Amino acid sequence: MSLLALERVSKRYSTSTREHVVLSDVSLDVEPGELVVVWGMRSSGRSTLLRIAAGIEPPDAGTVRFRGHDLAKHGDELLGGLIGYCERTFRCAEGQGVLEQVTVGLLARGMVSRQARLRAQHALARVDAQGFAARRLGALDAGESVRIAIARTLALRPALLVIDEPTKGVELLERDEIIELLRSLADEGIAILASTTESTGLAGADRAFALGEGELRGTPPLELATVVPLRRSSVRRALG
Amino acid sequence: MRERQGPMQSPVNWALLGLVIERPSYAYELAQRFDRTYEGALALSSTSHVYTALSSLLERGLIEEMPGGGSERQPKPRYRATRDGVEHYQRRLVAQLSEERRRQRLFAIELAALMSEPELARGVIDGYEQACLTHAGASTPSSQLNSDDTRSQLAERFASEEQRLSMGAKLAWVQYLRRELRTFAERRGTAR
Repeated sequence: MSLLALERVSKRYSTSTREHVVLSDVSLDVEPGELVVVWGMRSSGRSTLLRIAAGIEPPDAGTVRFRGHDLAKHGDELLGGLIGYCERTFRCAEGQGVLEQVTVGLLARGMVSRQARLRAQHALARVDAQGFAARRLGALDAGESVRIAIARTLALRPALLVIDEPTKGVELLERDEIIELLRSLADEGIAILASTTESTGLAGADRAFALGEGELRGTPPLELATVVPLRRSSVRRALG
Repeated sequence: MRERQGPMQSPVNWALLGLVIERPSYAYELAQRFDRTYEGALALSSTSHVYTALSSLLERGLIEEMPGGGSERQPKPRYRATRDGVEHYQRRLVAQLSEERRRQRLFAIELAALMSEPELARGVIDGYEQACLTHAGASTPSSQLNSDDTRSQLAERFASEEQRLSMGAKLAWVQYLRRELRTFAERRGTAR
């Protein structure tokens, strides 16, 4: 049984003038410790695919299962717990400080303040942002914001982390640090499902897919699959 | 370069010229550096290949023997690049873009030959897309340069980053091809 399994998922959006098929019969599995990245152009349906995978949005057809449980029935209890959907934006009402943002989800789930702060600091350290706890959100650049957003999701200890365009808006030379962070989280056993509009965002992925015209393509052919084990060690070397 | 000889085509000759520009060397040393630097990318047919290539570079005036190399009894010339050699090498690197364009154009012409058989064309496009995804995924996410990088690490990084970026353009091109193929097939169906 896969950690996450999308089975023949379809989704369409209708306006008064036309109907747009966003996802057509899409199937995708994600296993623990895998970094799976979906590449797609603008309006390709990447974000919709990720929202459906996280249980935020229901598909029109098909099913999404997490550890065998249908998200249509169990999505509410899984989202924000074992399924972490990493929102890159912050709600000001939840606090202007980094630590407040990372603790708010824990407090909302009934964790006592001291424990929540400890958990948040641990999550910040994991994304190499331990020094940011006292910072104001307005003082963060794009790359730092992504790290904090990932820390906020990690604090909830998800088994699956879903993140839409993690490197969007991040300086070119800082993007790899985000990709390396996601790769290292996957190496620790967390399943990562991410999307990207740039091919650079596919680096280090265990499996890469392209989404276009509602169809998802990209199961690696056997003759090319041998590159996968080499990739992990090379990333570890790069991480030193 | 002497025009009567025509443009130099041999990749081995160009590679050796690059090595000489990097550091003046003896022929045997160049053969060893060639193997280390171009392992997996280019190969010498034999060690004597280096001597043939050096003769050609000398004849074209792209390299020259350094004065004072070796004794009279056992001459062992060291080679260095001439100014002309460095300029030609620079122009050759820039001209690689035209070569890539030519190769891509050839691929497009060959693919267009399959347009009357949409299923065959689709199969090629799917395979091409898969290869792009695999290559992009297999690249290492580390585009930052380190001051202590060796030359080969630097070259590896340059190549990896170029591949990562260019795969995005190719993946977008695949989407365009699919759309065009579908439109072409629909129009053909309507015309019948």
